[in-house]
Amino acid sequence: MDLESLLPTLLGLAWLLPLVSFAVILFAGPRLGDHGKGAAGVATAAIVGSFVLSLLAFISWVAQHPVHAVAHDDHGGAHASADGAHGSPASHDSASSHDSQGSESAHRTVDEGAGHAGQPVSYSGDWYTLYEGGRLRLTIGWYVDALTVLMFVMITFIATCIHVYASGYMHDELHDITDHEVHLADGSHLHRPGRFHRFFQALSLFCFSMLGIVIAGNLAMVFIFWELVGICSWFLIGFYYERKSASNAANKAFIVNRIGDFGMLIGLMALWGALGTLHFADSTGLDGHARPGLFSLVRPPVARHAQLVPDGMVKFAAAEKVAEVLRSHADDPRAGVEQVEAKVEDWRREGYGKWLLLVAGLGIFCGCIGKSAQFPLFVWLPDAMEGPTPVSALVHSATMVAAGVYLVGRFYPVLTPDALLVIAYVGAITLFIAATIALVANDIKRVLAYSTVSQLGYMMLALGVGGWLAGLFHLVTHAFFKSLLFLCSGSVIHACHTNDMRKMGGLAKVMPWTSGTMLVGCLAIIGAGVPFLDIGLSGYYSKDSILAQALLFARENPSHSILFYAVAGGAMLTAFYMFRLWFMTFAGQPRDHHVHEHAHESPPVMVYPLVALSVLAVVAGWTLPGGFGIANMIDQARPAGTGGTELGGLLFRAFTVPAEHASHAHNIHVTASLTAFATAASGVLLAAAMYVWRVISPAAVAAAAKPLYTFLANRWYFDEIYRFLFVLPVLGMSRLVSATDTGVIDKFIEGLAWGAKQVAGFDAWLDRTFIDGFVNGTANATWHAGLELKKLQTGQLRQYVMFIALGTVAIFVLAGLLLHSSFAG
Amino acid sequence: MGIAPILAVTQPAFWPLTLILFLPAIVAGILALPLIPRGKDDSIRWVGLATTIAVFVLSLWMAVPAIFGTGSAGQFTVGEAGMQAVVDQPWIPAFNINYLLGVDGISMPLVLLTTFLSVLAAAASWPIEKHVRPYWILFLLLETGMIGVFVSLDFFLFYVFWEVMLLPMYFLIGIWGGPRREYAAIKFFLYTLAGSVLMLLAILMLYFASDVGTLSDEQLIASHVVSPVLEGTERTAALAAIHSAHDAGKPVHTFNLLALAAIGQSQNSPFAATSFWGMTLESWAFLLLLIGFVIKVPVVPVHTWLPDAHVEAPTPISMILAGVLLKLGGYGIIRICYPICPGAGLSFAWLVCGLGVVSMVYGAFAALAQKDFKRMVAYSSVSHMGYVMLGLGVWSAVDGHGYQWDAWAQGVNGAMFQMLAHGISSAGMFFMVGVLYDRVHHRNLEEFGGIFNRMPLYASLAVAIFFAGLGLPGMCGFIGEVLVTLSSWNYSRLLAVCSAFTVILTAAYILWAIQRVYLGAEYKGPHGDHLTPMTRRELAIAVPLVVLAVVFGVAPQLIFNYVTPTVNRQVETLAEWTRGHDGASASAGAAASTDSEKAEFQAAIDSFSVGGGR
Repeated sequence: MDLESLLPTLLGLAWLLPLVSFAVILFAGPRLGDHGKGAAGVATAAIVGSFVLSLLAFISWVAQHPVHAVAHDDHGGAHASADGAHGSPASHDSASSHDSQGSESAHRTVDEGAGHAGQPVSYSGDWYTLYEGGRLRLTIGWYVDALTVLMFVMITFIATCIHVYASGYMHDELHDITDHEVHLADGSHLHRPGRFHRFFQALSLFCFSMLGIVIAGNLAMVFIFWELVGICSWFLIGFYYERKSASNAANKAFIVNRIGDFGMLIGLMALWGALGTLHFADSTGLDGHARPGLFSLVRPPVARHAQLVPDGMVKFAAAEKVAEVLRSHADDPRAGVEQVEAKVEDWRREGYGKWLLLVAGLGIFCGCIGKSAQFPLFVWLPDAMEGPTPVSALVHSATMVAAGVYLVGRFYPVLTPDALLVIAYVGAITLFIAATIALVANDIKRVLAYSTVSQLGYMMLALGVGGWLAGLFHLVTHAFFKSLLFLCSGSVIHACHTNDMRKMGGLAKVMPWTSGTMLVGCLAIIGAGVPFLDIGLSGYYSKDSILAQALLFARENPSHSILFYAVAGGAMLTAFYMFRLWFMTFAGQPRDHHVHEHAHESPPVMVYPLVALSVLAVVAGWTLPGGFGIANMIDQARPAGTGGTELGGLLFRAFTVPAEHASHAHNIHVTASLTAFATAASGVLLAAAMYVWRVISPAAVAAAAKPLYTFLANRWYFDEIYRFLFVLPVLGMSRLVSATDTGVIDKFIEGLAWGAKQVAGFDAWLDRTFIDGFVNGTANATWHAGLELKKLQTGQLRQYVMFIALGTVAIFVLAGLLLHSSFAG
Repeated sequence: MGIAPILAVTQPAFWPLTLILFLPAIVAGILALPLIPRGKDDSIRWVGLATTIAVFVLSLWMAVPAIFGTGSAGQFTVGEAGMQAVVDQPWIPAFNINYLLGVDGISMPLVLLTTFLSVLAAAASWPIEKHVRPYWILFLLLETGMIGVFVSLDFFLFYVFWEVMLLPMYFLIGIWGGPRREYAAIKFFLYTLAGSVLMLLAILMLYFASDVGTLSDEQLIASHVVSPVLEGTERTAALAAIHSAHDAGKPVHTFNLLALAAIGQSQNSPFAATSFWGMTLESWAFLLLLIGFVIKVPVVPVHTWLPDAHVEAPTPISMILAGVLLKLGGYGIIRICYPICPGAGLSFAWLVCGLGVVSMVYGAFAALAQKDFKRMVAYSSVSHMGYVMLGLGVWSAVDGHGYQWDAWAQGVNGAMFQMLAHGISSAGMFFMVGVLYDRVHHRNLEEFGGIFNRMPLYASLAVAIFFAGLGLPGMCGFIGEVLVTLSSWNYSRLLAVCSAFTVILTAAYILWAIQRVYLGAEYKGPHGDHLTPMTRRELAIAVPLVVLAVVFGVAPQLIFNYVTPTVNRQVETLAEWTRGHDGASASAGAAASTDSEKAEFQAAIDSFSVGGGR
């Protein structure tokens, strides 16, 4: 089997296995073993199966497309010209179709050896058509490249760890549970049966939906699974739905995400309306015609993958001019159409459609803002910590929230430089705000949640300043160490029965495995490493490349240097709050002896996943001799034409997005590494000074900067501001609308009805007086009968119903007779 | 002669369609006779249920030949665009009124929806203890009325069924309803009657302006003005009669919807030729019909009968009301308004779309404010039916877009899907509210909570069906909404953004309601001890609805296979009409007129594809 049909088969099965598990648990749930204990087995087996299939796909990919260091040449223009020959439409193998797999069509885009301005190797096709009408087609399909394969392996691996961990963590749900956080009206606590299997059911559905986003061959499919992960997240955040805080958090998460989806829909409409396709790659319609996909429309191979406003958007924006041309050629429509085609180039030069392309890009990014918890929609993620900790580790740190970053990376070729700069600024604001809040949070999971928001901001910023690889690389490494950190915090919570770090301390002795693996996670997230030897934990490599790219961007565009300072400052804050967390939890003396006495190391089923993840948190960034490594593998998927320098200047004053490989230049790289090291080290030292050596008293600092501390402790008052700015006005508007219905429209109708009743009364009087007793069976009488109903006693009802029934029948008997007479006539 | 000519009809669909249509009415008539003695209420219920099941099976036999083996005459051919199973018998020849029935890809799924929901609503009618016999008589008459509207191709017949449907509904709400039933029933009656009167006016206007003599022989036969059954000399004679009357200056009027559409779309449409008070007859007719139909849909601001009618109506009647009656409005617009009055349709497209978007946003806001569970669901119907209006209206096949009909067809297909999907999800939502109301006798959203723990199976099914209403992918609500929303961009950016905005409000009111009713630790209202699990009868109603909501969400082609060919053909025809219309006004007569030129132009347009032709 060649890769072209092998990959969709393997990954498609890996994608569907969790759905099977969901269905099994849905229908057989409580009957699976004792109290549904078998549900964990079913779900875990499914995800392990997915992992194995993904691994097979990974191996077959690597066998076919060996991963090695990409040779960089420093002349952006040179390989663009070489690429013209490779990137021509001729290399699109559009005729191939594979009925044997049940696929409707399959595509393969291979353009090896073209350097990274050429088309990356990718396979795409459609499994299933949701709607097809005219030229428009919505499908379920696949787009598989190195990034897809890597994401599959990453997601299924982490999900496997978390399934194993959760089968231990959720153990309590196997029995009846008394929920001490829920107070009933009679003052008692809620007593309820456990729902172990429901947890794994939702987890399986989540894995299916998440993998659906990754394998998606078009944006409509992304949107479908985007919503599905949203609802899975709703289920999982609201797992303890008896708690008001949990159901509030679940609703908040979904509704805030829908605000982002509102923007995403606008982006989809802008693309769909003007281009008529949402496919990433070129595809074949059911009619057999090849249709260019988004990538080749926005970066046409004939233009050497340089970004152009696509013809469709130009014509859409210039609709009036198009109409004018067509009208002036009304006598010869064909000439009119040719004339339009000839003018497209002029219109494009005049700037038609450039705003549309920007709106499309920013619209899609809005969805990512919601899903990846970016400013201003990040407020849902900290609240989402109401869910069980394995959920926080899988959904709300490693996978779902990273989907936004993944989509920006996937959609990268369509994003204009201005859209990228907006993304960079959103990322910078997010990473800064979240990091400052994390400084003062005392709930161990909330610190990690704000840290996640902050790290996602890093990734967005990296993508925005041209660091496509840096952002996605950090996405993968972060997934490993952040899920590790969350699982460690879960282990702590499991032992202490509290989230409050102020009650912890000194746990390192009783929980050696947890504290050790968590230390690895902390070191990975701050990017610990040795600058000149270039050796470090996974975060070291990805964070350095982000810093380097941000530095390069700042050098090229001095007016945007703040982006670099945000990254550097953020690195220091990260180091501080992460080690504050670790020191408060594990170091020093116990603060609450009651908690400390009951603390114990977690069972092996929870510890093994910690160890597995901590190994990856160390090695995930490494590049083996010969070039094999995650970074180089991601680089195989670099979108065509995005490796070079790009110019922007629609929303902002003119600026350059520098080519990513330029950030590997020695002076940039060294400065970035040293900055990273210095900021991280100072953050750790400060945390140690405050929480280990106690030379600085945290309380004194808080007191000295009281207003700032209060401001941060209240999370910048975002929830309050949003409540005032959005929630209350919407509720007010809804009440106003409702009042309009009853107060204005209904009053008017009731006035009319009153008038009609008067007329009817007069009519009745006329009837009684003049047409006494005559029932003529016209509409007039039925109107009358209807209005008189109010006065009816039910005793007369039977007659009325009989009248209607017989009347209806009579009409058609009459019909039959007339029919008869017409035949006779 | 006797009855023989009627039985000997040559049209194979005569008996299937007639039976589907009149079986409920006949049984209603039989029930009206004192055959079943007093006190045998259960027998009446079983007869009623059996009738709805029989009608459903018949319509299934007709609509889904694959189940019963294909090939029988009178069955529907899936994937064919044109009118099928046409039944054509004279009824009142003096006014050219015919017993003209037929189904196509637009009406067949709606008929199936009607007969299906009637079975479920009949099963949901079991708890009704008051005046059982009259209830079932009216219920069955209602079914005949609804089916009749969907299958009538004669405007007069359409109107008769429209009225036949109105009266039983009025009594069903006014007698079997809640405390304010009389108010709600009168309100319903006045609104709908106002619509009917305007519709009648429009019908008569069109009738008297029509002249089938202007149509070609092919059109006369295609639209069944001259029955295709007639052969040889009979056919020639019938055609000659029409033409000679026309030549003699005596127009032959018609109620035939197909013929009216052919006349309305002709180059020199008589409907566009006459004007009153500054507007063409076509525009008047369009607006009058539109008012009649949008009252049924309903759209803001003529929607206020709906929340009251729903809140007061008994559960099965709410299911029928939301599931079927609202669709009659959308059906009327797609079947009558646009094909017969294309010129007015083009110039008033903004009105249809605007009303749709206003309803979507307004309904969603209103739903957010409701304290009554059923009222909340009722307003969600207003919001969801707004999508139907928007989808039907997006007339984006205009010159700037090169008369591309794809986006518009997508809107109309989406609207049709939304109608059917909403038929499933809204009936389900109302039933779910009814299940709770039957137990605790209140609907106050603030006084529920904890239902998930008290009635787990019920709550799971209810949440599933509410998710369908939320427009969650994988459920039926998603496809229609997303197709309509995506199609609206090419018509108007502003309306598109407003319609996209609605998704936020929808999520808010549905999730908030779910939270208040199903989540939470304990039930806060009265009669908590009555929260018993669902009965088998209730499950038999709820499960099919949930299953269908998922099936249509996952396999929308099941519906599109029926709908798309017909819709695409209608939209393509109207797009072509728009081009002719523009061409005629731009450079009189210079537009491509011969068939070969049209084909050439179409080829050119294809290269002008929206996707850009690289």
